Amino acid sequence: MLAFIGFSLRRAWQGFWRNALMSLAAMATMVLMLVLLSGLILMLAGLDATINYVGERVQVVAYMKDSAPKADVDRIQLALQEMPQVTQVKYVSKAQALADFQQRQPGDAALIDSLPSNPLPASLEINLRDPSDYLDVANYLRAQTTSVDSVQDLKVTVGQMIAVANVLRTGGIVVLVVVCLTVLFIIMNTIRLAVVARAQEIEIMRLVGASDAFIRWPFIFEGALVGLFGALITIALLWVVQAPLTNFMSDFFNVLPVQASVLVGRDVALIVLGTGVGIGVLGSFLSVRSYLSR
Amino acid sequence: MPMVTPATPGSTSGTLRVPNPPSRRLAGKSADRRAFIVLQGVGKTYANGKIALRDVDLVVPEGDFVFLVGPSGAGKSTLIRLLIRDEKASVGHVLLDSRDLAKVKRRDVPRIRRKIGIVFQDFKLLPAKSVRDNVAFALEVTGTPGRQIRPAVDRVLRVVGLRDQADQLPSELSGGEQQRTAIARALVHDPRLFIADEPTGNLDPLISWEIIQLLLRINEMGVTVLMATHNAEVVTALRKRVVALDDGRIVRDEIGAAYHRED
Repeated sequence: MLAFIGFSLRRAWQGFWRNALMSLAAMATMVLMLVLLSGLILMLAGLDATINYVGERVQVVAYMKDSAPKADVDRIQLALQEMPQVTQVKYVSKAQALADFQQRQPGDAALIDSLPSNPLPASLEINLRDPSDYLDVANYLRAQTTSVDSVQDLKVTVGQMIAVANVLRTGGIVVLVVVCLTVLFIIMNTIRLAVVARAQEIEIMRLVGASDAFIRWPFIFEGALVGLFGALITIALLWVVQAPLTNFMSDFFNVLPVQASVLVGRDVALIVLGTGVGIGVLGSFLSVRSYLSR
Repeated sequence: MPMVTPATPGSTSGTLRVPNPPSRRLAGKSADRRAFIVLQGVGKTYANGKIALRDVDLVVPEGDFVFLVGPSGAGKSTLIRLLIRDEKASVGHVLLDSRDLAKVKRRDVPRIRRKIGIVFQDFKLLPAKSVRDNVAFALEVTGTPGRQIRPAVDRVLRVVGLRDQADQLPSELSGGEQQRTAIARALVHDPRLFIADEPTGNLDPLISWEIIQLLLRINEMGVTVLMATHNAEVVTALRKRVVALDDGRIVRDEIGAAYHRED
C-alpha cells in the first residue's frame, strides 16, 4: 500500500512537470474559476448578512396621525397581528417615542424641551418574518388613511437588495457552471495528454502484470495535484486581497457590520480547496475512464 | 550451460525460484508431465471479421520448449495474445496452469500476467530509464516493496549477464544487450511461462544465438518456453518441438523437428 501511494505520487509529480505548460494552463483556469467562486460566495454572504441585519433590526414603521382614534389604531394593530407575514407588532405612543429619543440622544434633550409640544408621532413597529413581504404589509398600512400618516419607505432598499442578491446568485451560478465545465474539459484534456505521453509505459505495465490501480491512480493524483495547486494559489490570492476587500465591503454596505471574518475566510478556503481538488479528480477520472478503458 | 542455483537455499526473495519442487521436475522428464498450456478447439475472429485462428488444439507440458513457426499473419501473435489474456478466444477453451482464461475476471488478469514473462522483437524498453530502472519498473508497478527491488534486479541482471551495463541507457546498448535487458525484466517476476515473440528478429545471427542460449538456460530452470520465430537456422539446429501455424490452423506439431517439413 505504501509502495503504491509512493509510486502514484511520484508518477503524478513527474507527469505534472513533464507537461508543465499544459498543467500550468489547467491550473490557471482552475484559479480563475475558484476566484470567481469565492468572489461570488463572499458577495452573496455580504448581501445575505446585510439583508438579515436589515430584516432583523429594522421593522416596518407606520407613523400615526395625531388625530388617529385609539380604537382604529387598536384595530390596525390587531389586524397586523393576524397577518401571517408578521411576527410582532409593537405600539409606541408619543410619550414613549419622546422618552426613547431622549434616551438615544441625551445631548438634544434641551432642544426637545424648548418645543411647545411633543413633535414625535406615535407609531406601530412591525417585525416581519421575511423582509421580502414588506410590500404586503406596507400597502395594507397605506390603505388605513384614517390613522396612518406615513409608512417608512426605507425598506424598499431591502427589496432591491434581495433582487440584486437573486440576480447575482442566478447569474453567478450560471457563469460558474460554464467555467466549471470549461475547467473540467481542460483537465480532461491535460490528463489525456499525460496518458498519451505514457502510452509506452502503460503497455509495459499491462504486460508485466500491473494492476489497474497502478495504471490509473497516478493520473487521478495528477488531476488532484492540478486542483490542489490551483486551490492553494487561489487561497493565497484571497489572503492578499483580504484587507482591501473587507474595506471595500464595509464601504459598499455602509454602516452595516459586514466583514470577511475569519470564519467566512475559513469556510471559503475549505470550499475552494474541496472544489479545486474535486474537479481535478473528477476530470482525470473521466479522462482515465475513457482513454484507459481496456 | 550451468544452472542458476539459489544463493541462499530456502530463500525465495533473493533467488530465481525454481517453479517445480524437485520431485516434479524429475517427473517432468516423463511423458505424463502436467499440461501447462491447453488449447481446445480454439477459434478467434476479430471484431472486424478477420479470422485469426481456427479450431486449434495444443497441449504444452510444463517445462517444455516449443517453437511456434509460420508465415506472417498465420496466427502466432493472436495465439500469444490469447495466452496472456490480451484477447479472449471466440470459441473453445484456453487453459493456463489449469485455469480457464475465459473465466478469469478482469481484475485477476494482472496476477496471471505475473506468471508469464514476455519479450518482443522491438524490446519495448523505456528509453529514459537505465537498464536497472527498466527491470525495476516491472517490480515497482506491481507493488513490490522498495527494499526488495534492488536485490531482485541485481539477481536477474546477473542471470542475463548485464551487471556491468546496469546504469546505461538502452540507447547506449547493442541490440543483443537491449533484448537481454527485456529478458531480465520478463524474468524478474519468476515466471512459469516465458513467451518470446520473434526475439531475434532485429538481431544478427551471432547475437541471436546468445539470446537463444539464454532462453535455453531459462528453460533448464524449469520455465516453460514458447518462442515464435522465423529463424529457420535456430529452429532446425535445436531439434525441439515445432508447432507450425498457417492461415490460423496448426499444420504441423512435431517433436525434434526442423523449421521446414522434412518428409
